[in-house]
Amino acid sequence: MSKIISLHSFRGGTGKSNTTANIAALLAAGGRRVGVVDTDIQSPGIHILFGLAGEQVSHTLNDYLWGKCEIAQTAHDVSSCLGTDQKGKIYLIPSSIRPGEITRVLREGYDPQLLTTGFRQLIDELGLDALFIDTHPGLGEQTLLSIVISHTLVIILRPDQQDYEGTGVTVQVARKLKVPNMVLVVNKVPDMFDTAAVKAQVERAYGCPVIAILPHSEELMTLASGGIFALRYPDSPVTALYRQAAAVVME
Amino acid sequence: MTGEHGHILVVDDHRTTRLKLCLGLKQQGHTVGEAENGMQALEKLRTEAFDLVLLDILMPEMDGYQVLGKMKEDRILRDMPVIIISAMDDLESVVKGIELGAEDYLPKTFDPVLLRARIGACLEKKRLRDQEVDYLRNVTRVTDAAAAVEAQTFDTQALADVADRTDALGQLARVFSRMASEIYAREQRLKQQVQQLRIELDEARQARQVAEITESDYFQQLEAKAQDLRQIIDGQG
Repeated sequence: MSKIISLHSFRGGTGKSNTTANIAALLAAGGRRVGVVDTDIQSPGIHILFGLAGEQVSHTLNDYLWGKCEIAQTAHDVSSCLGTDQKGKIYLIPSSIRPGEITRVLREGYDPQLLTTGFRQLIDELGLDALFIDTHPGLGEQTLLSIVISHTLVIILRPDQQDYEGTGVTVQVARKLKVPNMVLVVNKVPDMFDTAAVKAQVERAYGCPVIAILPHSEELMTLASGGIFALRYPDSPVTALYRQAAAVVME
Repeated sequence: MTGEHGHILVVDDHRTTRLKLCLGLKQQGHTVGEAENGMQALEKLRTEAFDLVLLDILMPEMDGYQVLGKMKEDRILRDMPVIIISAMDDLESVVKGIELGAEDYLPKTFDPVLLRARIGACLEKKRLRDQEVDYLRNVTRVTDAAAAVEAQTFDTQALADVADRTDALGQLARVFSRMASEIYAREQRLKQQVQQLRIELDEARQARQVAEITESDYFQQLEAKAQDLRQIIDGQG
C-alpha cells in the first residue's frame, strides 16, 4: 500500500524541507517512486532543493485547488537530481511562489476533500510508493488536514525549550486526530549532546519513537538550500541517519 | 652537568693513566667514572648519565674504535661527546677516530691545559645540544597537546612543566594550557547543562493551546470528516 507521510514542525527553521527532500530522494535513489507535495502554501521553498526554478513550473498545487488543471499536471519529474543511474522516480508538486496566488489561497481557503482526492489521484496516476507532504510550520488548517490524511506523521524538532513545548501541542492534537503512526526526528543537535540521552528523554516526554537524531552539520549548513545533501554526500554519517529514517517511515 | 663541570667517564686499561686522568679531572671540579675496558665502558654508559668520555684506543677485547662504533649505533649514546686519548698519534689513527665520530683526538702526552680547554669546549657543546634536544622535545609536547585538544583527549596538566620554562616556548605553553583549560571547562559546563536538560512541559499552557485548536470550528469539522478523508486516501472513498 502507498504511504502518505507528512513532515511537520511546530516552528520554522527546524530543517523540515531539508529532511523531507533528503528522505524522499534517498527512497527514490533506492528504486522507489516518490512524490513530494509542498503544502507550505504560505512560504513554499522545497522546489529550490530539487533545482526547480520558478519559470520551469507550469502548474502548481494552487492551480489544481482552483480547478485550473488536473493534479497530475502539477507533478514535475525532478528525477534528474538523482543522477544518471537513477532507479526510482521523484515528482515534486510545488506551491505557487507568486505573492498574489499565495494571498488568494490563504484568503479563500480550499476544499479539503479536493486536496485529498488529488493526493489519491497522484498516487494512482504516478504509481507512487510514497507521497511526502512538506507542511507549513504551526498547526494551521492545511497542516491539520495533512495530519488527518497521513499514515505517518514525522515531527521534526530541535533540542530547545520552545520546540519541546510546540511538539507537545502537536503530539496531543495529532493523537486527537488519530494519526496511525507518529515518529520524531530531532534535528540540529550540537556535537556535545549525548544523542542516546536526547533520544531517551524525547521518547519519554512524548511517548513516540525517535527515528533519527541529526547533528548540527557544518556540511549540511554549507549546502543549505543549494541541493540535496544525501545525494551529494552519500557516504556521510548524516546521510546514514537520513537513510535510517527513510527505512523506518516506509515500514 | 652543573655549570662548566661535568660527569666524565675515563676509559683506559692502564690503571696509572686512568688514575692520573681521574685525579686531574677531579681537581678541575668534574666528577668521574672509570672503566678499564671497552665492554665495561659501554655497560657504564648505559647505566649512568655521563657528559663526556675520555677514551683510550689500544685496549684488550674491545678497542676504543669499536667502543666508538657501538656508541654511534646506540640511539641514546650516539650524541655523547668522546675525546680519544691515545698513544697512537699517527695521522691515520687520528683520522679514523674523527671519522668514527670522536670530537677530538689527543696524544697520551697531552698538555693538561689543552685537555682542559678541549673538555670545556666539549661540555659546552654538549650543554647546548642538551638544551636543543630538550627544546625540541618540549615543542613536540606542545604540538602533541594541540593534537590532543582536537582529539578531545587533552590533559590540562600535560604541559605543566613546559609552562614553567621562562622562554617563549614556556609562554606559548602557558597561554595554550590556559586557553585549552578554559575551553575544556566551558565544554564540561555545557555537557553538565545538557545532562541536566529536562524537557519541562507546562502542561496547563499546553492544554490551553491544544484546546484552542481542537475546539475550533475547523478542527471539529475536520474531525467529523476525518474518516471520509481517510477512505479517499486509501482508495475506498
